Amino acid sequence: MDRVPPRVLSAAVGIAVLALWELLARTVYAGSYRLSPPTAVVADFFEYRDLYLRNLWHSTKTAAWGFLWGNLAAIALAGVASIMPVLRRSIGAVALTIFCLPFIAVAPILRLITGPGNGTPITLSALAVFFTTYVAALLGFDTAPGSALDVVRSFGRGRFSAFRRVRLRASVPAMIAGLQIAAPAAFLGAVVGEFTGARSGLGILTVRALGALHTDRIWVIALLSTIVATGGYMVIGALGRRLCPWAPALDVGAVPTARQEPGLLNRLAALAAPIIVVFVFWYAFLWVFQIKPFFAKTPFDVWAELFTNADAAETRSLVFGALGTTLWTTSLGYVAGLIGAVVTAVVFILIPWLERALMPIAVALRSIPIIVTTPVIILFVGRGLLTTTAIVAVMSFFPTLVNCYAAMNRTPGGILDVLKSYDAGSAANVRNAYLPTAVPALLASARIAVPTSLLGATVAEWLATGDGIGAVMVIAFTRNDYNVLWVSVAVLTLVAVIGYWLVAAFELRTLERVAPGVSR
Amino acid sequence: MARRGAPVDVVGVGRTFALGGGEVEALRGLDMHVPAGGFSALIGPSGCGKSTALRLVAALDEPDEGTIDMDGASPDQMRRGQRIGVAFQDPSLLPWRTVSTNIRLALELVGRRHDTAAVSDLIELVGLQGFEKARPAQLSGGMRQRVAIARSLVTEPDLLLLDEPFGALDALTRQQLNDELQRIWTARGTTTILVTHSIPEAVYAADDVLVMSPRPGRVVAQHAIEFGRPRTKELLLTDEFHAKVEAVSASLHRSEGQVVQLEADDS
Repeated sequence: MDRVPPRVLSAAVGIAVLALWELLARTVYAGSYRLSPPTAVVADFFEYRDLYLRNLWHSTKTAAWGFLWGNLAAIALAGVASIMPVLRRSIGAVALTIFCLPFIAVAPILRLITGPGNGTPITLSALAVFFTTYVAALLGFDTAPGSALDVVRSFGRGRFSAFRRVRLRASVPAMIAGLQIAAPAAFLGAVVGEFTGARSGLGILTVRALGALHTDRIWVIALLSTIVATGGYMVIGALGRRLCPWAPALDVGAVPTARQEPGLLNRLAALAAPIIVVFVFWYAFLWVFQIKPFFAKTPFDVWAELFTNADAAETRSLVFGALGTTLWTTSLGYVAGLIGAVVTAVVFILIPWLERALMPIAVALRSIPIIVTTPVIILFVGRGLLTTTAIVAVMSFFPTLVNCYAAMNRTPGGILDVLKSYDAGSAANVRNAYLPTAVPALLASARIAVPTSLLGATVAEWLATGDGIGAVMVIAFTRNDYNVLWVSVAVLTLVAVIGYWLVAAFELRTLERVAPGVSR
Repeated sequence: MARRGAPVDVVGVGRTFALGGGEVEALRGLDMHVPAGGFSALIGPSGCGKSTALRLVAALDEPDEGTIDMDGASPDQMRRGQRIGVAFQDPSLLPWRTVSTNIRLALELVGRRHDTAAVSDLIELVGLQGFEKARPAQLSGGMRQRVAIARSLVTEPDLLLLDEPFGALDALTRQQLNDELQRIWTARGTTTILVTHSIPEAVYAADDVLVMSPRPGRVVAQHAIEFGRPRTKELLLTDEFHAKVEAVSASLHRSEGQVVQLEADDS
C-alpha cells in the first residue's frame, strides 16, 4: 500500500465511495426520498440544465458582489485598526459580533431595508466573509517585519507611511489565505440569504425542492454548491501560490488569540468598549435606515421584551427554553464531530497509507460550506433533533480533522525519537506526543466552531426540525412578531460571542502552559 | 565505582539513503568498539555520518549492511529492553511537562512511574534543584540540555548515546556541562558514545576518540586518551592536552585528505 501514489489511492477511494453510494441509493434507500444515486443526480442535472445553470449563475453573482463588498470593508477596517491601534479592540468586537449573528434570522430584518430583491443575499454574503478577512488582514499587517518598520520610522515618517510602504505589502500572503476562506463563505452567505426568500438562486430553489420532496434536485444543488464553493477556494489558492510562492500556507482559522493586557481597569475597559461600540452600531443601523418602530427594535426594546413587559416571562421561557434545546443539540453535535475528528487524525497518523488515500478528500471537504448542504442532511437524517446534531457534527468534523492532523504531523521528530528509544508503543506516542501537540490546533478550531456551529444549528432548525431557537425565529418571522425575532437574534449573538470568548480565554490559559510562545 | 553497561561492537556497517531520486551513501565499512563502561567520542567533518552511526546504535534506524552487537544483543533488542538512553542536540523536551515530569517520562515509558527518588536524585545530579516545577520555556538552553541528560540517565541505561548534546550552547555553558557529564559518567560508569565536532570536547571527555572520514563515513583513526580522572579545567591548559588535540586534529586532516574546515567554536 505504501508504494501506490496518493492520487491513485484517492481516485480509487473516490470511485469506491461513488459506487457504494449508487448501490445504497438503488437498494437500501430506494424510494425513500433520502439518497439519490449519482447517476440520477447527473441525469437530473442534464435534464434541467437551464434551470440549474440560471440559478447557479444568479447565486454566484450574488456571492461575488458580497465577496467584493465584504472583503473591501474588512480590509479597510483592518487598515484603520492597524494605523489606529486604539480602535482595534472596538473594531474587532464589531467584526466578531457580525461573525456571531445568526444569519438566517438576520435575513428577514435586512429584507425590511433592502426590499425583496437581491440586496439581502448580497449583504449576508458580505457579512459572512467580513470576520475572517478582517482577522487575516490584521494578521498580515501585524506580520510586517519590525526592522522594516523601524527603517521607515528612522526617516521620520509616520504610521501611515509605514502602513502604505511596509504593512500593506507584507500582508499579501495572509490576505490571500483570508480571501481563500472567504470564497466559500461568500457563497454560503448568498445561499443562506436566499433560503429566506429570493426571486431566484440556488437557495430558494432548494427551499422549493425541500417542500416538494424533490430528492434528486436537492442533491444536484448541494453538489453544484459544493463544486462552486470549493472551486472558488482552489482558484484563489492557486492564484496565491502564483503571486507569492515564497509564502507558507497559512491557516487563518488557527490564528491564536491576542493576549490580554493585565490590570483590572484594562480588563474592564476591554470589556466595556466593545459592548458600547456594538450598541452604538445597533442604534446607528436603525437610525441610518429609518426602519419603522414596528420592525425596528432597540437594545432597550429587547431588554423590555425580556424583563419588564407584561409578557416578559412568557418570552423568556419561549426563547431560553428553545435556546437550551439548541445549545444541547449543538454541543452534542460538536463533541461528536470533535471526537470523530481526533480519532480519525490519530488513525491517519498511525496508518500513513490510509491518510494518503483519504486526507485529500477531507481537505477538499473542509472548504465546503457544509451549511449549504444542510438540505441534503435534512433529507438523509430526517426532520428531528438528530438533524441539528448531525449537521453540526459534520461541520466540525472536517476542519478539526485537517487542523488536528496537521498539528500532530508537526510533532518534533526528536521527541518521537526519544519515545522510540524507550520502545514506546503507539498508545504511548499518542498520549505523550501527538495529542498534546494537537491541543493548540484543537482549541483554535473550537473557538471558530462556536459561532459556525450555532449558525449551522439555526439554519437546520429554521429549514427543517421545528425545534430550538431557529424554529422560534422562523415562527416569529412568519407571524410578524418582530419582538421575539429581535430578542432571539440578540440572545443568540450574545451567547455565541460569550462562547467564543470563553474558548479564547481557555485557549490562552492552556497555550501558556502547553505551548508557551505560541500566543501573540 | 565498578564499570557497568554493555560493550558495543560495530562491524562493517553501511547505510545509504535515498534522496530526491539519487542516493547518498552515509556510512561504508564502519568499524568501532567501545568497551563496557567506556566513554568513546565520535568525531569527524560535517556530514560524515556521525549522527547516522549513533542513530543506528540507538536502533532509531537500521543498517543496510554489517552488524552491531552489544553483549550479544542487537540494537533493537537493546531498545526493546529499554536499556538505552539518548540525548540529542535538540533537547526534545515535552513543552507541556515540567522539569521533573519530563525526566519522569522516561520512567513512565519503562514502567517505573513511581520511582520519584530516581527523579529527584537526577535533578540534583544535573544541578536543577529548585526548578522541578518549571516548564522548558522558562529554562535557558543549558538548563534544557541538563533536563535532557537527566532524562537519558534516569532509567539507568546500559548505554548512553549523546549526539552533540551541547552543540547549541555557548562555550562557557558547554564547558560547565562537559564537567558535569564527566562527573555523572564517573559516578555511574555507563557505556557512553558522544558525537561531537569539537576536538577539545572529545579529548576532554573520552577514553577513546574515534576519527571518522568524510562521507561515506568510517573510522579512520583511534586515539586513546590516557589522562587521569577526574579531569578538570586545568587540564585544558596543559601541553599534553594540546598535543593530544593536535594529534587528533592531524588525523582529522589526513582523513579528509584536503584542507580541513573546522568550526570556529572548536577552540
